[in-house]
Amino acid sequence: MPMTVSDKNTPPPAVHLPSQHLLGIEGMDVLTMHRLLDRASYFADNLSQEVAQTLKGQTIVNLFFENSTRTRVSFEVAAKKLGASVLNISVAGSSVKKGETLVDTATTLNAMHPDILVVRHHASGAPQLLSQHIDAAIINAGDGRHEHPTQALLDALTIKRRFGRIEGLRIAICGDITNSRVARSNLYLLGGLGAEVRFVSPSTLLPPAIGDMGVAVFHDMEEGIKDCDIVMMLRLQTERMEGRETPSQHEYFNLFGLNSEKLEAAAPKAMIMHPGPMNRGVEIDSEIADDHERSLIHKQVEMGVAIRMACLEALAVTAQQNGGGK
Amino acid sequence: MKTLLKNAHIICPVQNFDALGYVGIDEGHIQASGLGNAKSEADYDKIIDCAGQYVAPGLVDMRVQSADPGFEHLESLETLLKAASASGVTSVVSLPDTNPVIDNRTVIDSLSLRASQIGGPRLYLYGALTQGQKGHQMAELGLMAEAGAVGFASGAHAIQDSLIMRRLMTYATMFDKPIIHHCEDYQLSDGGEMNEGETATRLGLIGIPAAAEIIMVQRDIELARLTKARYHVAHISTAGAIDAVRRAKAEGLDVTCDTAPPYALLNEHAVNGFNTAFRLNPPLRSEGDRLAVLQGLNDGTIDAIASDHAPVNRDDKAQPFGQASCGASGIETLFPNLMSLVANDNLSMMSAIRLASTAPARILGIGGGSLETGTAADVICFDATRAAIIDQSKFLSRSRISPFHGQPAQGHLSYSFVGGQLVHQAAN
Repeated sequence: MPMTVSDKNTPPPAVHLPSQHLLGIEGMDVLTMHRLLDRASYFADNLSQEVAQTLKGQTIVNLFFENSTRTRVSFEVAAKKLGASVLNISVAGSSVKKGETLVDTATTLNAMHPDILVVRHHASGAPQLLSQHIDAAIINAGDGRHEHPTQALLDALTIKRRFGRIEGLRIAICGDITNSRVARSNLYLLGGLGAEVRFVSPSTLLPPAIGDMGVAVFHDMEEGIKDCDIVMMLRLQTERMEGRETPSQHEYFNLFGLNSEKLEAAAPKAMIMHPGPMNRGVEIDSEIADDHERSLIHKQVEMGVAIRMACLEALAVTAQQNGGGK
Repeated sequence: MKTLLKNAHIICPVQNFDALGYVGIDEGHIQASGLGNAKSEADYDKIIDCAGQYVAPGLVDMRVQSADPGFEHLESLETLLKAASASGVTSVVSLPDTNPVIDNRTVIDSLSLRASQIGGPRLYLYGALTQGQKGHQMAELGLMAEAGAVGFASGAHAIQDSLIMRRLMTYATMFDKPIIHHCEDYQLSDGGEMNEGETATRLGLIGIPAAAEIIMVQRDIELARLTKARYHVAHISTAGAIDAVRRAKAEGLDVTCDTAPPYALLNEHAVNGFNTAFRLNPPLRSEGDRLAVLQGLNDGTIDAIASDHAPVNRDDKAQPFGQASCGASGIETLFPNLMSLVANDNLSMMSAIRLASTAPARILGIGGGSLETGTAADVICFDATRAAIIDQSKFLSRSRISPFHGQPAQGHLSYSFVGGQLVHQAAN
């Protein structure tokens, strides 16, 4: 079965993706999920060594319409480790500010023949739109409220390396579900890999049709994280604590912030995760965010590079096998 | 101390008692109640022979403005609770339009503490829906619910922003508390002085159309359907809004409403003569609306009757009609108004007690409204038929302006118990 594609001695092979792009987790087959995690895990074990130069001679463009130091740097390090040259384009200095449309930007970039485009955009679906106008493979580095596939994959890898499995784990994702691409990608990925995923959120930060997605929903923190192996906290944007979605930071922390008292409801060895950046004292108490016994938050960042290596490599390999590329 | 009220006409909507019987009180609770005679009178320390007078659960007044803190010149907590005790109201549910507004748990904690020191009727509090009652930002509903808020209310204000109302309803579902809304579309009511119609035209006063209430009720019902919220229309006054609530109930939505005595007993013609005691919000409506209110009370569309006590003083009312403050004292006229409705055959005694006691207690999930064994002994004993004239100068409330001043009324309260404690006993 795909759970053990490799043993310690033979590295797991580079992954061939069913599609030219990596736009989201929704619809990804379980075999591909496992293969990406296995390959990334191999990279994670060998981060300090030169393991593969599968992207040598290729050009990766980081196209970020939304600032994110953590994700951009992680993609950049991953690409360089695989031998690619990296170009960073951030929206602040781009022609988008001068009124160029997304499609114009894509056409312009296409003329420069990049191999892989890493796209972060504030609008859901922007990477899909770009993919229709560009020859390069596109990897979604977070689009609006839609998906953030590499974040979900790195979360899964962190969990798998800690617990040795994902299947059968009970995972609570807590906070602003409505506006979270991380929550959606993780629901598809962790759910697809056999975990029981629950959402814990104020009713105003849950999409109204959430019931149709087949996920258990809780409005009480202690009830929601009861017996959970993983408590994944999401970032709450400060503008959502000003009375429109939730009354105040004060009430949010009291009802939905994770502190050590609430955490007692979770399984005895439950681990804390957070995609970052954290609002300390809002969704998470510093005491537990910094508790190395309970917190996987730093591990998540570390796994980010390995996951992005596996994904970039997979896109390159897929392009080659499809006879694409330059 | 064990007290027995015997030879009383017992009205208990929960147990469907409407005949001669008894109520035994012990340790603040109802120890026994039933029809006929109590099994053993020897168990009781004190026996009150009610001589056929009614004994019923005390009134639960679900819409009261306290004015304390911030406007104590209009009403203090002390005068309010004193007025309530003498008027058969054993539970007062107070609106958050104080200064500071009741929009956080600290104000709730402080008022609850003060009320417990004053004693007498129970004080329950609504939390404000929005911060400072400004209608823009959600108040800390969760923390107020933890502190004991029984529901969330906009007070005398109406939330105009539909998105905020949607969010409030969605958010409030987490705490299983109702949202109590004063329904008024400010664009339509802007500058209005009284109900729109022939009287307003003749008097040269600017009209407030019934649509100002109906549109808001209909909007809220749509939002209640969307959010599955518990939603309650306060002081409903128009036939159109009552129809909307009737349809919402038929559909199974968790929608309830109350009205106040002026809307059941008075109409816009009272404004002839420009007496500012009749300037209320919502305004006194047409006779057709008044009849629709009576119909709604009888067919179950209107769940509750509340006093809509809104303290005002003489200065606020000594103004040209349109400039006078809206509102009137109501807590001391609730009971005589109910008795008038019964005497006029508008309501049965059972319905009157259900509307002013059992139903509001159930809507808010608080005690009271029942004479069942084991419930808190909030009990009133009264003569329903003794005639009286309403005299606002005799009010214990600091607010002595009533639209019913000088009107004949029925009923005389003999005893009022809160948690088994006698809080009022008539002089004669």
